[in-house]
Amino acid sequence: MSIETTRLSKHYKETAAVDEVTLCLPDSVQVIALIGPSGGGKSTFLRLLGGLEVPSAGEIKVDGECLPTTEDELRKFRQRNGFLFQSFNLFPHLTALENIVLPLVHVHGWESAAASERAQAVIARFHLSDHAAKRPGELSGGQQQRIALARAMAHEPALLLLDEPTSALDPEMKAGVLDLIEELCETGQRIVLSTHEMGFAKRSADHVVFLSEGKVIEEGAAESFFKNPATGAVQGFLNTVMKW
Amino acid sequence: MKYFVSTVVSVVLAATFCFVFWVVVSHQYNWSAIAPYWGNLVSGWWVTLAISAAALIASVIVGALLTAGQLSPHRLPRWLSRTFIEIIRGTPLLTQILIGYYLIADAIGWHSRFGVGLVILSCFSGAYLSEIFRGGVESIPKSQWLSARAIGFSGWQTYRFVVIPQAVRRVLPASAGQFANLVKDSSLLFVISVHEFTMQAREVNANTYATFEAYLPLILGYFILTFPISLLSRNLERRFSYEH
Repeated sequence: MSIETTRLSKHYKETAAVDEVTLCLPDSVQVIALIGPSGGGKSTFLRLLGGLEVPSAGEIKVDGECLPTTEDELRKFRQRNGFLFQSFNLFPHLTALENIVLPLVHVHGWESAAASERAQAVIARFHLSDHAAKRPGELSGGQQQRIALARAMAHEPALLLLDEPTSALDPEMKAGVLDLIEELCETGQRIVLSTHEMGFAKRSADHVVFLSEGKVIEEGAAESFFKNPATGAVQGFLNTVMKW
Repeated sequence: MKYFVSTVVSVVLAATFCFVFWVVVSHQYNWSAIAPYWGNLVSGWWVTLAISAAALIASVIVGALLTAGQLSPHRLPRWLSRTFIEIIRGTPLLTQILIGYYLIADAIGWHSRFGVGLVILSCFSGAYLSEIFRGGVESIPKSQWLSARAIGFSGWQTYRFVVIPQAVRRVLPASAGQFANLVKDSSLLFVISVHEFTMQAREVNANTYATFEAYLPLILGYFILTFPISLLSRNLERRFSYEH
């Protein structure tokens, strides 16, 4: 899947969260990591890419096709993708299993038996079968995030967008979620994620984009990006976050 | 100290309750004075039950429609609902009943006191319910709406599967209070001579001058109607609860 943005901007009143970003990520790139300081535009960029926000200016092309601008068409576009947020966002009134089944049935039009079977298979793959009948309130943060990930990928999305998937978790739970994401990377799932986990970005991403103050400061293949960062800003950032 | 305070408060409350109970019970009643009129009171109670039950159901429908209007993306339904609610909530029910029956219903040639009373009560209670419902919908966190959007739910699906099931639980206690008010507010229908419970008590009083004997049955009669609402609400709250 190729991703192209041309002078892409998103303004919130006076501030430009994303500021004239032009990027061209070829088909060969499977996993893209967005890194950079908080408030640098990673989340907004991800939401634009996922069709959750409409650009103030510029355009996005996914596989050579411009993202639609009407809400109806954007909804169809979002249905093809999977989205995972920092703060779990499961539906608290439904069990883990129901959280996964609901979109399969009502968005993707599966028969409920098939949807239930599929949801159980994904839950088993994520080692959560014991928790399928529990509500989110009865699950730990890590378990909730794994169920949310299961919900985001159960329909085999063309593109999986992960917005700081482990930022709200403690280290042990982080590892559990990152393991699953890595596993998805290995199966060929196309992923764009924003993250503060440099170790993970280094290990699993093909391509890294560094965003700060809404602009792309540097981007490149993950290996060379971490080995020889070209700009002072990235060197400084990496030195700070890798120090501890 | 804490124990001492709570003991003193309990004793004072218990003593006050006993005193009130004793004053009411020790009064010299002359129940034989109203004996010939028991049938009137009972028939009035049935009228109150019928009109309250019908208005309860109708007011939920009115409340839901007004809520939909208030939350509409279009300006006209928002403005109409808002205006209706402000007028209903800002003016006395008594005048609404008078104007509704003697002016409006008369102008369109509708002379059913019960029917007009039912419509007015439903509108009145529906306006209050609508504000409760709106509060419930707006209390659902933004992250839930975002999550529903990311999944690809339409606006209607978001309400149906995500917002309403969670909001119902939150609006139950306040709605139960409004339903109890509705039962008691139906007593104002005496101004258009609906022969409900309170109206019958007034007539018994007028015929016998046995004021307490005529009015005291209202306590029991209304309580029998409102207490089950309270019980049912608690029961439903438990059934719909997902946090623990």
